[in-house]
Amino acid sequence: MSRIFEASGAPTLEVGAHGPVGLGRLRAFVEREQVYSWLMLTPPVLFLLAFLGYPFFYGVYLSFFHREVAGAASFVGLRNFVTLANDPIFWQSVGNTVKFTAAATVLKAVGGLCMALVMNQNFRMKAFSRAMLLLPFIVPTVLSTVAWQWILDPGMGLFNRLLVVSGLANPGPSWLGSPTLAMISIIMVNTWRGLPFFGISILAGLQTIPIELHESATIDGAGTWGRFRYVTLPSLLPVLFIVTTFSIIITFFDFQLVYVLTGGGPANSTHLMATYAYSISMGAGQMGLGSAVALSMVPVLGLLLVLLTIYVRKD
Amino acid sequence: MAQPAPPKASRRDFLKLAAGAATVATGPFISRHAQAKPTTITFARESSYVKNFDEHFQKVLIPAYQKSTGIKIEYQIQAAGGGAVPQLVSMVENKSGADLAWVQQEWLYRDALVDVSDIAEAVGKEQGGWYDEIKALSVDNGKWKSVPQANIGQVMVYRKDWFDEAGIKKFPDTWDEFLEAGIKLKAKGHPFGMSMGHGFADNYSWLYPLLWSYGVTVMDKTGKKVALDSSETAKAVDFVRRLYKEACIEDCVGWLDPHNNKAFLTSQISCTNNAYSIMVSAKRDLPEMGKVIDHALNPKGPTGQRYHSLVPVTHGVFAYGPDPQAAKDFLRWIMDPKQYRPWISSGDMYFAPYLHAFDKFPDWDIEPRVKPFQKVLETGKLTSWPAPANRAHGAVVNRWVVIDMFSKACTGAPTKSVIAEAVGQLKQIYGVA
Amino acid sequence: MVGELTWRKRLFGLWIPLVVFYVVALFPFTWMAATSLKTNAELYNPKANPLAIHHPSLVHYIDLLTETNFVTWAVNTMMVAVVATAISLLLGSMLAYPLARMRFRGAPLLAITVAVTYLVPQTLLFVPMADLIGRLKLGNTLSAVMLTYPTLLVPFIAWLLMGYFKTVPKELEEQALIDGASRWRAMTRVILPLCMPGFISAGIFAFTLAQNEFLYALLFLSRSSVRTVPIGVVGELIRGDAFYWGQLMAGALLGSVPVALVYSFFVKYYVAGLTAGAVKG
Repeated sequence: MSRIFEASGAPTLEVGAHGPVGLGRLRAFVEREQVYSWLMLTPPVLFLLAFLGYPFFYGVYLSFFHREVAGAASFVGLRNFVTLANDPIFWQSVGNTVKFTAAATVLKAVGGLCMALVMNQNFRMKAFSRAMLLLPFIVPTVLSTVAWQWILDPGMGLFNRLLVVSGLANPGPSWLGSPTLAMISIIMVNTWRGLPFFGISILAGLQTIPIELHESATIDGAGTWGRFRYVTLPSLLPVLFIVTTFSIIITFFDFQLVYVLTGGGPANSTHLMATYAYSISMGAGQMGLGSAVALSMVPVLGLLLVLLTIYVRKD
Repeated sequence: MAQPAPPKASRRDFLKLAAGAATVATGPFISRHAQAKPTTITFARESSYVKNFDEHFQKVLIPAYQKSTGIKIEYQIQAAGGGAVPQLVSMVENKSGADLAWVQQEWLYRDALVDVSDIAEAVGKEQGGWYDEIKALSVDNGKWKSVPQANIGQVMVYRKDWFDEAGIKKFPDTWDEFLEAGIKLKAKGHPFGMSMGHGFADNYSWLYPLLWSYGVTVMDKTGKKVALDSSETAKAVDFVRRLYKEACIEDCVGWLDPHNNKAFLTSQISCTNNAYSIMVSAKRDLPEMGKVIDHALNPKGPTGQRYHSLVPVTHGVFAYGPDPQAAKDFLRWIMDPKQYRPWISSGDMYFAPYLHAFDKFPDWDIEPRVKPFQKVLETGKLTSWPAPANRAHGAVVNRWVVIDMFSKACTGAPTKSVIAEAVGQLKQIYGVA
Repeated sequence: MVGELTWRKRLFGLWIPLVVFYVVALFPFTWMAATSLKTNAELYNPKANPLAIHHPSLVHYIDLLTETNFVTWAVNTMMVAVVATAISLLLGSMLAYPLARMRFRGAPLLAITVAVTYLVPQTLLFVPMADLIGRLKLGNTLSAVMLTYPTLLVPFIAWLLMGYFKTVPKELEEQALIDGASRWRAMTRVILPLCMPGFISAGIFAFTLAQNEFLYALLFLSRSSVRTVPIGVVGELIRGDAFYWGQLMAGALLGSVPVALVYSFFVKYYVAGLTAGAVKG
């Protein structure tokens, strides 16, 4: 019966309890908000349970064991975590990760906002620019990081050549050799890479702000800055929050960049929790301890995000 | 001690669910990438610096073996720079992967390798006997778990032209002379570049020999007592700090293995510790520089001794493979002089066999500047020396405990505290007081 | 008077910042391009200008394409990225839509659970994941990564899409339902089209992450013929302790070209979708 309705080209007239029996009742059942939602949710939830849930629980489980590769596992309770608590390198990696994430995120957010504001204007090469400026984000991290290794080379690299040629410094600084500069370098490379992502996402957000809001603000007498403060920023807040949150997460978990650029050195000054966990699990073959390091990332990250949420809620 | 039962039921359920979903989704893929047939053997190795070596294997050895036995060898090249070990570890964990491999850091998973004593002993007998030191790595509880293929020699690589200009006609024989030479050359704008970062070869190849030449080792012979805690260590640390500040380029404290190659080839440094790769690159791409590069053995320390670090290439067969015996047969075949000697030759002696039959191998004379690599075997020790090459040692290597001791000292930390930190870490890793 | 003001506004508000962004974003690429076109001799010359090429040569590109499996890697990478993105967008929107626009029992719990999955680092998962892939006998197959990448992408896509889904007013959906449309129709004909910019952004994001992934590919793909570009390039263009810089840079550039093309294609759609939305809205 319902097929006749459809064939007639009229919009489907499922009118709930008054509809045809059988297929109609099934349809009505599906239309219920509860059922519809859960039907839709089933495939992704199952997928995540299988491919994310299982490895996660196994990973957590591992962190309570002393488990060396190809060896038997023995339960050690919290001993791994105690070991880490007494490990100065572990705490160094925690500090490094927090510093790195905080600095890079702020730079990317501010830079991305500026980029979005600039790109939100009308000019001829707009589409082209959008594609071009995204390139740092598109290129696989490993490849651009390898390029950065050479760009930061003290003698041959682009940076130091420019510094020397312009007379600003001679010889140029040791970007990857000094602990402080190495941290600055990884922050710089991460910012370079991630800024376009912020830019494009914020741009999308900017373009969903209804023009009417801007127009009414102008009518009310707001100038450019006023519009920015009272129309743009508040409307952007949701997008900004989302984008910043998962940029923080991705940056916090960053592995490739440090792995390729510095390997955690010099003297562990750029060791992030992810690279440290990796070197313990896969390098030293101590999978229990490595999992413990990885697991420790969760509360630290959680704390960061809670702080961010509180800060945002305050406004 | 009772282990808490993981939610076993839920794990199995998840697995079933996953397997079911995956099989449905990937059925076609699985049949396309079918299980390896028993007539294929997979051999995993890190890519060789000397391309000819890999090519000889792929273009000469593999076809020859296929012709004589019908078995196809699949050559899996692994990423250099630390990519091989994680793959090996994951192969062992999942009990699936290559059949035999260059078993880097075999101390992590010796139990997963089959006994290859028959091969090793036969090879040793027919080719002059093994160098003793390598047995500490390959022999576990009296059984050979891997067959050593060769050593990648690491020596001092330097610009003879710049040394001559500075009036240093002979390469420094002691570390103190080395420091003096470095100071002179740095003053002329040609500093040294000694790697001290989180690499795996070029840092170990001079810092550990230096330590040893001061009469200190990391652990004692039994591997149960930390030996690093000594006044000689402090002397070594102070020396390295001086060397860094007065003779080296600032960057090198963070260098991984490729950085010194780059710095040398771009004429930024006059000396570093490395394998044969710098000279090979130079001869190929920068012939003028290639003519003025030379090699020298590591300098002697206050004990009057010089040491070198061995970088071993050993082959092992995995027990999980479908046919370990077939893999063993292949291993025996490639170590047979008929195959082995030409293969070693194809590598321009980048790889030096641990067999005494090769001490006078004619290929050493093709390029006289390569001779030091042969001499390395006489004073070469494993980084674990004199302690056993076990998992704890692996942890020390992969967490750069001793390397960081030096690099932290160079970037400002006081000697006493860096040694104390290193000793503390060693105690924790080895589980000793 | 107004004209002059506008000109200055354009200069400082648009052109100068734009140029700055261009320089910052693209200078490494000009360097990569320059490097890939220089012979090794020129490359290692400390006196040469890094950006000038005196004897341009295509040798690195030729070597890359003929002596390595680069083309295979590039094809693999695209395939994996496209499939993983498609799976992730599908699953992600199925996850996001109910959470964003519907009420159902268990919603808060589910939302929290999904939120928590974002906080799971790859470094915690890679050991068990390798175990899982090994058991499913998917080692050295592209399926291994096609199935595991969505685990990284779905939570983020879902969250991103939730944000976009929420911006569409409830009234539109209610109106459609009153007009007699089924939920499915309302969703697919009314709401989702308005979220096209969101899908495109999410898709771009997923695509980028997918072709950028390193750890799982490193662990699961060791045979050269199934490798992706990041692994293939790092694995086979870095031999021992020497980087084949010229080929590496050539590979990096060539690896970015298809993606850049895809991007420029979608950016057009993005603009079109937006103007269409503006007209409708």
